[in-house]
Amino acid sequence: MRKLTTLLLALCFSATAVQAQDMSLDQLLNVVKKAATESSAANKKREAEFKSKRDQQRRLLSEARAQLAALERRTEELKLAYDNNEKTLAELETTLAERSGNLGEMQGTVKVLAGDLRSALEESMTSAELPGRIEFLTQLASQTKLPNIQELRQLWLEMQTEIVEEGKISRFTADIRDERGEIESNVEVTRVGTFNAFDSNGKFLIWKSAADAGTGTGKGELMRLSKQPAAQYAGLAKSFVNTPAGQLGEVPMDYTRGTILQLVIQTPSWQDKVKQGEEVGYTILIMGGIGLVIAIIKFFMLLGSGSKIKSQLKKKQPSQNNALGRIMSVYTESPDTDIETMELKLDEAILRETGPLESGLSIIKVFYVIAPLMGLLGTVVGMIQTFQMITLMGTGDPKSMAGGISMALVTTVLGLVVAIPLTVLHSILQSMARKQTQILEEQSAGIVARMAEK
Amino acid sequence: MFWLKERWYSILSFIDMGGPVLWAIMVLLFVMWLMILERSWFYFVTYPKMRNKIIKEWDEREDTTTWFARRIKEAKVSEASISLRSGLGFLESLVAISPLFGLFGTVYGMLQVFDIMAIAGTSNARAMAGGVSKATVPTMAGMVAALSGVFFTTFFKHKAAVEAEKLEDRMQSH
Repeated sequence: MRKLTTLLLALCFSATAVQAQDMSLDQLLNVVKKAATESSAANKKREAEFKSKRDQQRRLLSEARAQLAALERRTEELKLAYDNNEKTLAELETTLAERSGNLGEMQGTVKVLAGDLRSALEESMTSAELPGRIEFLTQLASQTKLPNIQELRQLWLEMQTEIVEEGKISRFTADIRDERGEIESNVEVTRVGTFNAFDSNGKFLIWKSAADAGTGTGKGELMRLSKQPAAQYAGLAKSFVNTPAGQLGEVPMDYTRGTILQLVIQTPSWQDKVKQGEEVGYTILIMGGIGLVIAIIKFFMLLGSGSKIKSQLKKKQPSQNNALGRIMSVYTESPDTDIETMELKLDEAILRETGPLESGLSIIKVFYVIAPLMGLLGTVVGMIQTFQMITLMGTGDPKSMAGGISMALVTTVLGLVVAIPLTVLHSILQSMARKQTQILEEQSAGIVARMAEK
Repeated sequence: MFWLKERWYSILSFIDMGGPVLWAIMVLLFVMWLMILERSWFYFVTYPKMRNKIIKEWDEREDTTTWFARRIKEAKVSEASISLRSGLGFLESLVAISPLFGLFGTVYGMLQVFDIMAIAGTSNARAMAGGVSKATVPTMAGMVAALSGVFFTTFFKHKAAVEAEKLEDRMQSH
């Protein structure tokens, strides 16, 4: 500012100097005076101005200082508040961590529980009556968010329902899979706890879980056993199904929840067992059959000849239809022959008649002696098979040995089954034949003698 | 009465232990003893009367030496012998089949052992014990049945032979 003023002044001076040549000195003086007065006035004004500005600055400064102090005080206050908040925050965070930790544990428990319950319910027969539980439990077991109170309630409800249903006998309609593997709809099913189920005819049903059923529908189903248990159980089941509600009834129970019933399918029937006897078993049975047929034929033959001989014993007149009559007729045809000739003739006749009586008995004897021996043979063959299997497979798997052992036992049974009745039959036939032989051999001569005496 | 009931229960529990084959053995034993009693009655009560009658008839005959007389004697002895021997063959066969029934029970029990093994595995000895007792008890029962019969069959056969011979001896020629 001052520099600018000086420059202006200098310009004025030079201008005046140029003009001075044209102006008088007075004029110059006046100009200078005037200029001097003007500049001092300006300076005074500038000074005043400056002073006023300085005061203003001072005021501003003091104001700013006051403000600074105020702000510093506030800073202190805020810092304190911040620290406090920090502390509270830390505390709250700890609490939060604690509380959410408990919840996580609960979620884990719920997941495990839901998973367990699902697998238990999949295996449980009650699922046939109450479908749709599995889906809920699957979803609960796999979800990542916390379960809400409603889901927890339902989980509890499902558990309690299962507990109650396990102890109940209930009737309901359901779709079942029949023996041929086809779906049969709306069958009336009677369920005994989680142990057994029967259809309206008292046929046994078993529960197949989704994994066992393998239908790919992801649902378990009731299946009718293709092979039903023994008749007495079936009858019991049928009468149980027809027992009206509220009455006591007897029921065959499979306490293993289907394991024993599954084994029923596998257990060989009587025919299967005979088949296990293989060739040896068949041979024994054929022998038994032949022996039985011979024995029956022989029995009726002996019965006939025996009754004829008996009636002949009472009559005097010999008839040709029986052995004793034929022997007696040797005498009646020529009663006047001498004793030696007659004795010879009688002996010949007796020999002729006794021969056929015991024929065929020896073959029955052979059969009943051989049958247990054949059974023993089958046993040994079966044991050889068993030991061969042991050589090949070791003793680890009892099922590999089962074939040989079954054969061993079944042939023994068959041998005895054939031998016992054949023995009894043979002894009966033998005694019948012997009685008649004895009559012919020892009594015919006496009868003839008695006839001759009269 | 109580004693009888108790006996009956012990018999039932024994049969339960041995399985259904024991019922068959029991029936067999019953028939066998019925026959033994019948034979004993015959030998000691019926037969002596029959024998005396035959001897009396023989003694009353005038002709006891001709061929005819000898044949008639033979026939009488034969008649007596037939009735002495009747039923003995059947009794013998009952004795013969009772061990077979025992064996049958044994095999039946073994089959049950294997059935149980298929269900419970080999580790459960207690479950198998039922089948094993069914296997062993009938064998014993069959043996006992046979033994009780063997003595009487042998005795009766001997008795029949001796009595027939005696009868022949007592029908003397005079």
